[in-house]
Amino acid sequence: MEVQDVIRGVQPLIGDLIPIKTVQETQPTEEYGEAYVAEVNVKSAAKVVKVLDANIPRDPVRPMNHLRRFAKQSNLPEPLHPLLLGDNPSPQSIFVLIPPPLPEVELLQELLAPFVVPSPQTETEADTPSDTQSQSTSKVKLCTVKVPTLPPLGAAQADRWTNDLWPVVYNPAAARATVAPPVQVLNRTREFIQPDAGWYLSFARKVAEEAVQSGRGRSVGAVVVDPDIVSRLLDAGEDMDFRWPDAIVAVAGDARYSRREAGQPSAAELYTGVGPNPATETYNADLEGGPDLHALMRAAEIIAQKRRAGEWEAENDELPSLSPLEAHFISQLDATAPKAHSESKDTTPSPEKYQKTGVEESHAIHISAASKQETTPGFRIRPRTQGGYLCTDLDVYLTHEPCVCCCMGLLLSRFRSVIFPQTGRMVTGGLASEPVVTPVPIPESEMTEQHNAEHSEHSQGHMLIQDDDESKRTRQYYGLHWRKELNWRALGFEFIQENGDHENLAADGVAFYA
Amino acid sequence: MRGAVLTMERGTVEQLYFMEQAFEMARTALDMGETPVGCVLVYEGKIVGHGMNDTNRSMNGTRHAEFLAIQEMLQSYPRSALRSTDLYVTVEPCVMCAAALRQYRIRSVYFGCGNERFGGTGSILSLHSDPAIDPPYPVYGGLQRKEAIMLLRRFYIQENKKAPKPRPKKHRELNTKFDDATSSI
Repeated sequence: MEVQDVIRGVQPLIGDLIPIKTVQETQPTEEYGEAYVAEVNVKSAAKVVKVLDANIPRDPVRPMNHLRRFAKQSNLPEPLHPLLLGDNPSPQSIFVLIPPPLPEVELLQELLAPFVVPSPQTETEADTPSDTQSQSTSKVKLCTVKVPTLPPLGAAQADRWTNDLWPVVYNPAAARATVAPPVQVLNRTREFIQPDAGWYLSFARKVAEEAVQSGRGRSVGAVVVDPDIVSRLLDAGEDMDFRWPDAIVAVAGDARYSRREAGQPSAAELYTGVGPNPATETYNADLEGGPDLHALMRAAEIIAQKRRAGEWEAENDELPSLSPLEAHFISQLDATAPKAHSESKDTTPSPEKYQKTGVEESHAIHISAASKQETTPGFRIRPRTQGGYLCTDLDVYLTHEPCVCCCMGLLLSRFRSVIFPQTGRMVTGGLASEPVVTPVPIPESEMTEQHNAEHSEHSQGHMLIQDDDESKRTRQYYGLHWRKELNWRALGFEFIQENGDHENLAADGVAFYA
Repeated sequence: MRGAVLTMERGTVEQLYFMEQAFEMARTALDMGETPVGCVLVYEGKIVGHGMNDTNRSMNGTRHAEFLAIQEMLQSYPRSALRSTDLYVTVEPCVMCAAALRQYRIRSVYFGCGNERFGGTGSILSLHSDPAIDPPYPVYGGLQRKEAIMLLRRFYIQENKKAPKPRPKKHRELNTKFDDATSSI
């Protein structure tokens, strides 16, 4: 079938995108530290804050803004009542928290001495018989309590801490980049991607179909979209329901059977039949090619090849052999390219860069050809000489959850975001694989209202799926798209198809690496 | 929960030889402006694949040494030979490569220094021993560790000159690790 016919035959998937939870969210680490609580005069609260802020340094890396500064008697968590209230609370006292890093007790006593609760009748400080009246009035009552040193991930966690440890504030808008993508960025990107995601995910299936029917690979496809082109199309008032193919910079299908090993014909070449390669029916490691032949890795290489265009060092590179769909998109021009690119006097690549490599005239011709090209719309994938770099800021739509290897490849390639249908979760996946067989392993108490709402709305059918296979339960939830330990991160989304209940779950089929 | 990684400071003469060949690749990478990581694949006592980082030249962030070495090897050997093949690599394989080596069913991995930012065999993740559909593989770290760190340091110092916004934390880590050896550069 002609490429244009394939494109015309695409029907968008209907459904919603939801962010993939991070490991920091699904397996929250709770860290606690010691803090002081001092009983001070309620009328001096403002002064107390001033004095403390002026004299006790804070750790800027560990903000404690989630801990309330003060707690009235009525707001104290019940477990603290015996410690702080004794049996005779003074109506004039309020409790101030001094979070870690903790100052010296002497310094604290000195700073807070002017704010001691003036209550001659109070008995609480006379616990120790040796305390005289004068001492107890010049010293604040100081207690050590346990506090959470990381901000709460949800309202439920905040409530639990408020009831058990110390009053805590939950701020959903607070930037907590090591836990999850900033809410604003996540929402903005989701809203941007949502309207066209159904087209690209549906088209990824066409790419997968081409891959599997050719006998070269499994039924896995990747579609890479440049959101800048989408923006320009939208700015020009274009209808994305017609123009969606124009923002695709590359597609790639799985090609794991296509490599010749040891000079022998590839599994694809050996198979002379029609339709899927018989190797797709099982998992035989020796026939799996390798992750460099997976759809996502091939997309990265196809794009890289385009970025290297015109560089003489790249001429000897072995280029991936392309399917008709792959070849089509890689050669498409960007009709939306901004003016700056076409009037390119300024952006003409400097010939020096080429001369540095010590080549002669033939390459000078290359340069002039390249700069001529810039007066017409350029390719959708800009070469290195025009600032193109890896897969920076591109979105990749996949039929399946990528394997751990490809997930890290995705980060190393600097993709902006990754999107796949939830039915495409894999037991070998590197993003959200675990809940495909067992529900997200968070105790009910940890679930935030937000999560509850999201999941009951979109994914009830899938989240409740259970699997009796014990061995599958031991799998890891890697959440590689957003891990605090890694330098690079991407936004991850799953697509929940409306009325998608009839869809087969990829995880129920042969276990392989997508 | 971390999978075991055995530390070995002294290898056999043979192991040290193969590691030295991996360092040759890493030094070449440094000369070419690539992150200085190099590796060799050893099958039946013979080097059958070489690799060095190639991400800058290729504009492909996934072109790590391990992938290049495997691709070279597969030109002459079938994939199944990797089951009897050992990898010698100057730096702990990253998450991507550690996962790839599992899929390729490498026999064992020897590395120089750990990779605290991306390491996939013990530092960040333990993909050599996590549950998966392919068997686990043993990992031995620490062979010529200092040399591996020094190479990385040289690269990052060099990168520092080019990059307008270096990551200060990265440099701090590299600097504090071994001050005594630094002075010898």
